[in-house]
Amino acid sequence: MTTQFISVEIDLQENPQKLQTAIEIELKKQGEPLRWAITSVDAKQKKVKVEAVITKNSYDLTAKSLLI
Amino acid sequence: MRPYTAVLIIPTGVGAAIGGYAGDALPVAKAISQVCDRLITHPNVLNAAMMYWNLPNTLYVEGYGLDKFSAGSWGLRPVHQNKIGLLLDRGIEPDLRLRHLQAADAARAALGLSFTDYVITDAPLNVELRNSSPGASWGTIGNPDSLLRAADILINRAGAQAIAVVARFPDEVDPQTENNYRQGKGVDPIAGAEAVISHLIVRTFKIPCAHSPAFLPPPLDSNLSPRSAAEELGYTFIPSVFVGLNRAPQFIFEKSNQHPQPGDIWANQIDAAIAPVNACGGSALLSLNQQQCEIIVVEDNQTQLQVPPEPLGIKSVRVNSYLEAIGLIAAHKAGINPSALTSNIYPLHSLRNN
Repeated sequence: MTTQFISVEIDLQENPQKLQTAIEIELKKQGEPLRWAITSVDAKQKKVKVEAVITKNSYDLTAKSLLI
Repeated sequence: MRPYTAVLIIPTGVGAAIGGYAGDALPVAKAISQVCDRLITHPNVLNAAMMYWNLPNTLYVEGYGLDKFSAGSWGLRPVHQNKIGLLLDRGIEPDLRLRHLQAADAARAALGLSFTDYVITDAPLNVELRNSSPGASWGTIGNPDSLLRAADILINRAGAQAIAVVARFPDEVDPQTENNYRQGKGVDPIAGAEAVISHLIVRTFKIPCAHSPAFLPPPLDSNLSPRSAAEELGYTFIPSVFVGLNRAPQFIFEKSNQHPQPGDIWANQIDAAIAPVNACGGSALLSLNQQQCEIIVVEDNQTQLQVPPEPLGIKSVRVNSYLEAIGLIAAHKAGINPSALTSNIYPLHSLRNN
């Protein structure tokens, strides 16, 4: 697994629920979102900037037997 | 009577004027906990390094779990005690490691906390720090699999019910940023990376987790801000993490929740959520906006961000201070319209009925 910092721009949506969904869809294009937040809003351009840490190549829980 | 339940959110690593430093929002949490039946908040609010205050009606929920709880995906089940597993980064020097093991021994002897045996990661975690342009601290870790393997051993071999992680953080933080932080200004440069570590464990294993960084003791600073002073008292920041994890609620899941218990808490039971006015862009607050809860935003807790609730469509009540927020919660809990406490009560008007 790797952790990676990314930043994306998303269109403001008509309600927070749709905005949250749009953010999660956009982040999932690049990996599995671990932590994200909207860090700025441009109301004129109707855009938000989202910063996130995503992970790639999930940890395999079944591999634990190798450790024991 | 339905218990009045509030969520207090002060995001980590965004330079919150109150809560952006070393446990400096703990008085806020303590005061709010007195006007509600249950308070849910997160380690950034309750951890004050060597200092802590045990709040009996307050639930210590790590940020990833708080996001899932707020979204209604996970519930919270209060416990009497968790067995804590201590996870130490291999990158910690032997003397510093011993200090943390002694902190765990002290928590066992002086506070009666319960621990499993500890685990040292099979490789250094290699924490890397990053600051973004609007003023948020972020970070990544070089060996996340090593972190998760160690947690796996603690949980599945030793029976840990909560994980306390200590990672070695770089001593070479930007000197200006670090100096600002110690003077109670700017952004906590390590907070974002800390959150990534605990989020990884909570996402993977779905049990409580919190993190404490390991550093060599900093040089003595005669101009230290009281807001940052709790982190200058000793060799470790871990005691408050142990206390929080001791009674951190376990997570429950709707699909597997065959035996609900009376104390279980779900997002639809939240009555109020309190957050800084210009840091409203987190997942938890966006989710809570969909619940029937009052969102209260506090104007004098400024952060480095400029993300107020209105452009996002979050319905909220603005207050000047946490003192005012506490009054609003007290009125809400008492079933009193806050306007009844002011001199302006406007007459009712007739609605048109056609």
